[in-house]
Amino acid sequence: MIKIEDLNVRVGQRNILADINIEIEDGKWTCLVGPNGAGKTTLLKSLLGSQAYSGSITDSGVEVFKNHDRNVAFVPQHPQIPIGMSVSEYVMLGRSKRDGWGNESNKSRNLVADILQVTGLFGMQSQFVSQLSGGEMQRALIARALVQEPTLILLDEPTSALDLHHQIAVLNNIELLKERGVTIISTMHDITLAAMYAEQIVVMHQGKVLLSGTSDFVIHSPELKTAFENRINVFTLDSGRPVIVAKKDLSN
Amino acid sequence: MFKAKPALIRLAVATLAFSLLALNSTQAATTMPKRIISLSPSATEILYAIGAGSQVIAVDDLSNYPSKAPITKLSAFSPNVEALLNYKPDLIILNADATKAVEVKAALEKLKIKVFLESAPLDLSQAYLEITALGRATGKISGAQNVVSEMKSKISAAVKKGKTTKKLTFFHELDNTLYSATSDTFIGKVYKDFNLINIADPAATADSAGYPQLQSEYVIKSNPKIIFLADAQYGESTETLSKRAGWNGIAAMKNKSIVALPEDIPSRWGPRLVDFYEFIATSIAKVK
Amino acid sequence: MKILKSKGHESVLAPIWNWKITAFAAALLFFVGIMAISFGPVSLGFTQIIKTLFGLPGGLTGQDRTLLIDLRLPRALLAALVGAALATSGAVYQTVFRNPLADPYLLGAAAGAGLGATIALTSAGADLYSLLPIFAFFGAILAVLISFFISGKFFAEPNSLLLSGIAVGSFATAVQTYLQQRNSSSLRPVYSWILGELTVANWQVVTWSSIYILIALIILITVSKQLDGLMLTDEEAYSLGINPNKLRVIAVVAATLATATAVSASGLIGFVGIVVPHLVRGITHRVTNRGLLTIALVGASFLVLADLGARTLLSPAELPIGVITAFVGAPFFLVVLRKKRLVTQ
Repeated sequence: MIKIEDLNVRVGQRNILADINIEIEDGKWTCLVGPNGAGKTTLLKSLLGSQAYSGSITDSGVEVFKNHDRNVAFVPQHPQIPIGMSVSEYVMLGRSKRDGWGNESNKSRNLVADILQVTGLFGMQSQFVSQLSGGEMQRALIARALVQEPTLILLDEPTSALDLHHQIAVLNNIELLKERGVTIISTMHDITLAAMYAEQIVVMHQGKVLLSGTSDFVIHSPELKTAFENRINVFTLDSGRPVIVAKKDLSN
Repeated sequence: MFKAKPALIRLAVATLAFSLLALNSTQAATTMPKRIISLSPSATEILYAIGAGSQVIAVDDLSNYPSKAPITKLSAFSPNVEALLNYKPDLIILNADATKAVEVKAALEKLKIKVFLESAPLDLSQAYLEITALGRATGKISGAQNVVSEMKSKISAAVKKGKTTKKLTFFHELDNTLYSATSDTFIGKVYKDFNLINIADPAATADSAGYPQLQSEYVIKSNPKIIFLADAQYGESTETLSKRAGWNGIAAMKNKSIVALPEDIPSRWGPRLVDFYEFIATSIAKVK
Repeated sequence: MKILKSKGHESVLAPIWNWKITAFAAALLFFVGIMAISFGPVSLGFTQIIKTLFGLPGGLTGQDRTLLIDLRLPRALLAALVGAALATSGAVYQTVFRNPLADPYLLGAAAGAGLGATIALTSAGADLYSLLPIFAFFGAILAVLISFFISGKFFAEPNSLLLSGIAVGSFATAVQTYLQQRNSSSLRPVYSWILGELTVANWQVVTWSSIYILIALIILITVSKQLDGLMLTDEEAYSLGINPNKLRVIAVVAATLATATAVSASGLIGFVGIVVPHLVRGITHRVTNRGLLTIALVGASFLVLADLGARTLLSPAELPIGVITAFVGAPFFLVVLRKKRLVTQ
């Protein structure tokens, strides 16, 4: 269980996050939704432990700041792409947490080979990551996170740059992690997708959490609409799946 | 007993005399280097003037006088220790201004090669001292003394001839960006011997180290009566000077007292200094 | 997690680093080193050299021995040390600043060293001449420190450090030019120092420079594998177990130490820091910093060879070594760049 109590994050003069109190269950997929500037990425970085904060974030009772005992994978929205590095080398970086830096055991290499297969990158293992398309790059990032065998995986907008087909493919791959008991926390612009995959949704607005709860509960709540300044419509398909779209008329 | 004693004595004396002679000649051999390399154009001129020319096996690439000196590609300013080694010298004359002169000397001495470090003299008396020192180092003491006394008499003759009582101001131009030399420099002192007035003197500052850069306006205002062009070898002449703004009004230009200094002579401080003094004397005489 | 097993793929992944390459680089250095100490205006026999070095009978004597032990050997060693220092710190800077064009003289180190050297040469008297290396060393270090101080936000943006380095460098160069103008007799010695020279290396220089350079290299090679993490964003690096800020500081400090020492021992020798890392990466097709040791060895060989050229090509004159590294380095660099461009298209 990840407990966040009275979390405040200040950068310079601005309060990026203010008075956040939520709990995130292990082994489930939690999605952070909200408009730009809501503080989703900052919350993610705080959960990683690299962002300074006041208040408390504990993972299984231990404070997370600069705590390297945890095995947390981080998939950024805009990764830094090393020039001249092959896909296999790039994915292999994920094993640093388990093996230590620069020691690739045979077990690791086998695992990486397997993951490359699963994510469909095996044939491109010698290509440079800088040559990959947007979708392939995203898969490489997921692959690297998978080989890390983490207990928690944080994803910042894992599907923003992808076409529909790849969005689903990537999200399905991530879902595989749940079978391993990995906790998944992601930020999502697309609330429909969030509703499809996440068990828990946290609604954020201007640095505060408006609501946190199960998907169904949150999707149909007024707080969701408030976060987006009432510019969204929530529809439910016959199958029961919710679809959230922006209103065409933005004046409301 | 047959009379062996006188014979023995004679033999002993002969042996003694002979060994003394032999000893003397080996001593002479160690004090007189036979394979000299000169890495200084001025030193080269001096060596030949004092009679040590036959001992010189190589000179640097700038030592173009006298023409019989064995000129090589060796560099005076960037000496190459290994290349020098190849010549198997027993004495090397090294310029103290050369790059890493101190380290080069140390390296050569480690290799058991004698090094004579010469620095540019600050005035005439120092120049004479250095010439004498070179004579000592090469075993040509009397030769050096001759050269020095000849220089002394010829120079004083030239100075007597050319010394002027008129207030002759002059400008010594080192290059076309108007660097000059004050009376603190060697060449400045040569001009001073003739009682010439150097317009660069008032312009000297604490750290121009004797070579201030003058402004064009300042030269025009100082209105020198003679201009000596040390950069004539680089193309400067009356013509190029007349193209400079405002220079046609300078006294030296108006009475055509622009003197093109010959190549090399002003920068060598060996026996050809005499030529330089005589050249200045003649130039002064020509000034109206 | 379902894992597909393809048949018989025990280790189908190409190894990240082939240590045979490193061994080859070491052998190359040894070979080049022997060549360097046997060639020159005076030729020394190969077997005799070996005998002299190992103290076996039949070695060189007299002037030849002095030539080998007191002239050639320290010079070759210094070339190797300086080459290794420059190549390694160039590679490290390229990683830390994520800029393939970074070289060890970034952050104003070169300009600072030049200014230090000029101050030593233009201050009253030749007394300070022997202290020139110290002045150059501290000049380099000070320039980098000031760059850090000015940029302030280094941890967030490595590029702001780069920019302040450029500013500091420009300022130092301006001051240096001013000093030289006022002391025109210093022009030639400063210029020849700037071009870089190993001409009269001696055991004293080799001793102190080897201490600093080896310390710096050991530090860098120890953290070399973790340096790969700096190629990613800070969060990614953190998640993989690295403290990116701390690592950057360690890397930059060690690299600057190596550079400052190299510069104070041998002047400003260019191109080694840019060309060698790219050369090694281009040939091995790997950008991992596991290659740092190899880069150091190749850098050493490169400079030893360049110095050999400086001594012999225009004999008896000496070519400034900076000219050789430029002449050789530039075309090499172009070739590697072309190949890389074709690859990344």
